Amino acid sequence: MIRFDAPSEEALLLKDTAMRFIADNYGLEKRAAMLAKPADAVPAHWTEMAELGWLAAPLPEACGGLGLSPTDVLPLLEVLGAGLILEPVSPAILGCAATIAAALPAETAADLLEAMLAGERIEVLATGGASATAPAVTATWTSGSWTLSGKAPMVVGGAAADIVWAVARVDDALGLFRVPADAVALTGFRLFDGQTAATVDFDGVSCTEDQLFPMDDTALVRGTEMALLARLAEALGLIEALYRTTLDYVKLREQFGRPIGAFQSVQHRMADMFIHCEEVRSMVQLAAEAMDGAPADLRRQVHAATWVKLVDNGRAVLRDAVQLHGGMGMTDELIVGHMVKRLLMLIQSGGSREDWLSAAAPSLHNSREAEALHA
Amino acid sequence: MTDLLVAPEDMAFREEIRDFVATHLEPETRRKVSLGMPLQREDFLTWQRSLHAKGWVAPAWPAEHGGPGWTARQRLIADEEFFRLHTPPLPGFGFKMIGPILMRFGTPAQQARFLPRILSGEDWWCQGFSEPGAGSDLASLRTRAVRVDGGWKVNGTKTWTTYAQYANWIFCLVRTDPEVKKQRGISMMLIDMASPGLTRRPIRLMDGTEEVNEIFLEDVFVPDDLVVGEVNQGWTYAKALLEHERLGIGGIGRSKHLLGRLEEMATASGRGDDPTIRKRLTEIGIDIMAVESTTMRLLAASERGTQLGAETSLLKIRGTEIQQALTELALEIAGADALPDRESGQGQAPFEAVVFQFLNWRKLSIYGGSNEIQRSILARQVLGL
Ligand SMILES: Cc1cc2nc3c(=O)[nH]c(=O)nc-3n(C[C@H](O)[C@H](O)[C@H](O)COP(=O)(O)OP(=O)(O)OC[C@H]3O[C@@H](n4cnc5c(N)ncnc54)[C@H](O)[C@@H]3O)c2cc1C
Repeated sequence: MIRFDAPSEEALLLKDTAMRFIADNYGLEKRAAMLAKPADAVPAHWTEMAELGWLAAPLPEACGGLGLSPTDVLPLLEVLGAGLILEPVSPAILGCAATIAAALPAETAADLLEAMLAGERIEVLATGGASATAPAVTATWTSGSWTLSGKAPMVVGGAAADIVWAVARVDDALGLFRVPADAVALTGFRLFDGQTAATVDFDGVSCTEDQLFPMDDTALVRGTEMALLARLAEALGLIEALYRTTLDYVKLREQFGRPIGAFQSVQHRMADMFIHCEEVRSMVQLAAEAMDGAPADLRRQVHAATWVKLVDNGRAVLRDAVQLHGGMGMTDELIVGHMVKRLLMLIQSGGSREDWLSAAAPSLHNSREAEALHA
Repeated sequence: MTDLLVAPEDMAFREEIRDFVATHLEPETRRKVSLGMPLQREDFLTWQRSLHAKGWVAPAWPAEHGGPGWTARQRLIADEEFFRLHTPPLPGFGFKMIGPILMRFGTPAQQARFLPRILSGEDWWCQGFSEPGAGSDLASLRTRAVRVDGGWKVNGTKTWTTYAQYANWIFCLVRTDPEVKKQRGISMMLIDMASPGLTRRPIRLMDGTEEVNEIFLEDVFVPDDLVVGEVNQGWTYAKALLEHERLGIGGIGRSKHLLGRLEEMATASGRGDDPTIRKRLTEIGIDIMAVESTTMRLLAASERGTQLGAETSLLKIRGTEIQQALTELALEIAGADALPDRESGQGQAPFEAVVFQFLNWRKLSIYGGSNEIQRSILARQVLGL
């Protein structure tokens, strides 16, 4: 059942620390200095982020995590999104580590994840193919070892990875290969919002038996959903931050002897921005609570519906945020432009809106299950 | 659609344009324009020189000042062809702004000195209207000119000055009388960018380019012969300049060009037959048709002698909305292929520049009088509200 519970004390504490950390370390100048470094440089604050508990937060306690529920990691992720961090927290932790935690026995996962959760390593997941369950990598067994083939063209957060976990087709099942980054051809680069990514070429990489871990579909689905939730939460943080920044701006900026926020057409735009924000907040919270308790089909629909809302409302908010800032909204010198790019990046990363729309379609309108969720 | 609007006698004209572009446009420039990549000074100037040699560089100028003597309809056809064939869109600060102003209000000496150099590309003009505190409310500008022996001394800051880094001249609005109603104390001056006291700071935009600048004027001397028309009449000239601009502002050529590119992108992404994409492309095509026929209808009325007023604001509003909608549809088609940074070397053709263009074209609804301001103009001056 969806309760729209308030976040726990622990969740709020993490959020407050994160806000302070961002304020101290992520001013535009400091961020510009980080962006000037090569894409594959070790990101500046990874170890500190581990010490602050951000990496462990969403993982189960048995795997060395803090065991926060999906709902309780939202506030932290919102702050990290709005804070425009360049460390790959979402892809490495909610994409990669959450998949490992779901796929492997807890003790094994705890051992394997220890170094990452201590901030000593970055590990990412390469799914690669058009969908997570159709991986780009294939493994074949030849003379006592596995040989991989395939290429993952867009591994977000992978530029400075130490380990790349490849989701691979192994005969007719799925498997997870743990591959050190120096064993593959990895090319790091930046995305248009400054975040890093990599193309990873697995062709001809040879792996031993103990680099392969069995994985079932459910584990992959869990990981994929956690990664999606992370992007939704970051985007929510950005939408809200754009709304607040713009609200402040229209109160301050004066033209024709008045704050531009005194003009009715500007007021209506701001009211719409507020509505867009509130809708996304509700949907993202719904999506998070659905993670625990809702059946798989319904979860998929809710997530797809949330993504569609994010695309529509997110685009409207970023358009208006730029427009109402006038020329200032176009520059690199205010935070707005940077937030706009990050939000746009998140939206684009989901691919075609039409696909999400189809995924959301079948039963949302008259679904008894959907009613049951709210009962 | 345009075929419907092209008179038989104009067909040969269109062929002539096509032949010229085919033989004169550099392939590399064509490539950059077709992908929507940013252009450098030389990309513009090389093309400008070819056009100049042919006598086509300033389609709207009267023949006595070096224009080709085209009809309004021919100008629209040429505009569309130039965009369709991926020629660089020449910045209008000389051709469309200060040139026509000087023809109307400048002295014969100013005309003789500046107009030929606008055509040849020897002078590159930039527009110094906006200031940090004066954007939508342009008349509140504070750059101050005070009388000195033989001319004026100017102090103040101009901002958002497009391509000032390429320019050797800037036309500025400055306050020459602070005592009167704000629109009445403004003058227009021509300022040499090499004047002592004039400095420039590039402004980096979120799309990574540096196409705008801040211009600082500290005790810059402007001789009397570089004041346009009469002192304190600058606001009238600036308004005339905006009116001159309006008819061409729908960006129809530009929209059609981009619509064509979106077709290519849809095919490249394997979604050329996707019914949703087809529907969106058709819808935008209809929007373009509506603006195009409105432009032609207003043009026809104006050729019959009807004085056009503020209703042409609608062309700016709809034209820019359509162009922005096109960049958004490009993003939709590109999906995750749009993610790599433009300079990462990992861009996926033909999607390398879709994000750049989306971000950069947010400016269309901000500059030239924001769309909010245009709607207010329509409401007040046309609807009488
Ligand atoms: C890329 C770019 C290039 C430019 N090039 C040049 C150039 O070469 N030369 C030059 O002189 N200028 C140039 N400009 C400046 C441009 O003309 C101004 O940005 C524009 O006039 C808006 O002013 P502003 O940016 O100060 O925004 P503001 O006037 O502060 O407006 C901010 C927001 O408030 C809205 N608003 C303001 N007043 C009202 C109202 N009364 N009712 C409703 N809404 C209102 C605006 O529509 C806008 O959305 C350029 C701008 C850009 C972005």
